[in-house]
Amino acid sequence: MSGAAAIRVEGLGMVYPNGVRALEGVSLEVHAGEFLAVLGLSGSGKSTLLRCINRLIDPTEGRVFIHGEEITAARGARLRAMRRQVAMIFQQFNLVRRHSVLDNVLSGALGRSPLLPSLLLSFPAAERERAMTCLERVGLADRSTSRADALSGGQQQRVAIARALMQAPRLILADEPVASLDPALRHSVMRHVEALNRDEGMTVVCSLHDIDLVTRYATRMVALRDGRLVWEGPPGAFDHATFKSIYGEEAQPASNTGF
Amino acid sequence: MAPRSVSATGSRFDDGVARLQAVLVDAMLVGAALLMVEFLALAFSGRRGPTGLLLSAEQILDLLHYAWAVAGGLLIAVTWGLFSSRLGASPGRAWFIGVPEWEAGLEWSRTLRGWFAAVFVELTFFTGWLITELDLVTFLTKFGKAADIVRGLAHPSGAVLHEGLVLLVQTVFLAFMATAFAIPVAFVLAFPSARNLTRGTLAAGVAYTVSRTLMNFVRAVEPLVWALIFISWVGIGPFAGVLALWVHSVAALTKLYSEQIESIDTGPMEAIAATGASPLQVLRYGVVPQVIPPFLSFTIYRWDINVRMSTIIGFVGGGGIGYILKPRVDLGEWGEVGTLVLLIAATVWLMDVLSAKIRERIV
Repeated sequence: MSGAAAIRVEGLGMVYPNGVRALEGVSLEVHAGEFLAVLGLSGSGKSTLLRCINRLIDPTEGRVFIHGEEITAARGARLRAMRRQVAMIFQQFNLVRRHSVLDNVLSGALGRSPLLPSLLLSFPAAERERAMTCLERVGLADRSTSRADALSGGQQQRVAIARALMQAPRLILADEPVASLDPALRHSVMRHVEALNRDEGMTVVCSLHDIDLVTRYATRMVALRDGRLVWEGPPGAFDHATFKSIYGEEAQPASNTGF
Repeated sequence: MAPRSVSATGSRFDDGVARLQAVLVDAMLVGAALLMVEFLALAFSGRRGPTGLLLSAEQILDLLHYAWAVAGGLLIAVTWGLFSSRLGASPGRAWFIGVPEWEAGLEWSRTLRGWFAAVFVELTFFTGWLITELDLVTFLTKFGKAADIVRGLAHPSGAVLHEGLVLLVQTVFLAFMATAFAIPVAFVLAFPSARNLTRGTLAAGVAYTVSRTLMNFVRAVEPLVWALIFISWVGIGPFAGVLALWVHSVAALTKLYSEQIESIDTGPMEAIAATGASPLQVLRYGVVPQVIPPFLSFTIYRWDINVRMSTIIGFVGGGGIGYILKPRVDLGEWGEVGTLVLLIAATVWLMDVLSAKIRERIV
């Protein structure tokens, strides 16, 4: 879609029913093909922001546009059609643990699958082949019949990436995709997210803790503090003063281990 | 009792309501305590009851007419409320309004409220002793009559062994059919009965309220009563028993299933919804796989319970082994009763062990 940004967020605000204000007046644009990192302390609103973009959470104020179309105004089938364009990767992987690895990848195709067969876990042969290709991409084709919870954390997150790939979206939202993983495995997972961005041309919005990962993978970054957007720029422009402004005066940068 | 502090934002109206609630609760508690004191005093003074201790139910009800207890309770409650800054908060006040600062964190034995609670529990115990006509002397001296029964149970007669075994098989199948028919109904009803799936839209909220209320009502009615209803509907026999246990199992399983749904990990639901899946697909992929093992476990346990219940259902004509047990109890054929009781006990024990083993494997 020419001209329109991949994502445009306008004056987004979110107050949870218990009165907690998670976001306030957040406006930002994500350009097609970008790898945007979202930084901030736990509780700064990163997860809420990502979930407002695909409407897993309904924001209480503001609007969100996906490729020029307002998702905050979409309902029912229209909303689901828009969600198909936006795959999501979660900190806790969120696989269906008792299903096989292949069935988990196939669930990425639910949005375009006929209802009744999908309720019986039945998918067309073409989709099954495609799912196998996605698993090959993340190097797990040999585990396709294993139960998802038999895999290690890093492998589960790669299955989740294959599920996102299966969905064939134009956008990827990744909510702390490596925060639950052993530090040694982080790059092995991040490289797959990077591949979605670089090889598939998918726009990525990814919340991260670790400044090293941000500088290594992101093309641009924004920072949230107490639900407000406080910084925006290229990862190279991130310095000590900026760090303090996001994390507060007491914080110490501890590279390698994240913040 | 969780003490709540006075809310800073509460309006004068809310404060008034809270104060009224506190006084009413206190009046009820103090009134009940006064009634119990009076009841105990009357009982021990020998003015009432044939033994001087035991009172009949009517006389107990009669006591409720003593309006002075209500008036006294109200008077004490209001007084306690007015002087709560000196006396410490009353139970109702602690619940609805909060305790004064000096009283917060004190041990129960240093507050008037704590002593009131302790005395209240004591009073309830002794009043209960009298109302339920506990009689230790009789219990310890009149064993003779029951000895016949125990002797009979210990010397089972072989006369009913064959009939008993046949009806035992019927009992197990009766319980099985009731459970089997309950599964699909409870499975469907469990989703609208789960709070976490019914937030958001008005229709879902209505479905939740309707199914919850209905199931609570059905569960509140004893299976014995359902048996009587179905016996007059389809006649005496195991089918009536199946229906009675079925209705009760639907309600019980719906509650267990829906509570299980309420405790699922919502992560997979989010992930499936994010793929653009429809609500049914979200249920099928995000909810069902998580709840199937506990559902199976509950269902087997329910079968187990139904076997036990069907004995009692048989007593009133609902088929199964209870059906031939009743006349033998009435005739005092204790040897035959012994045979049947042993058969039931063995089956229940076996079901218990088996279902525990299977459930262990599933979850």
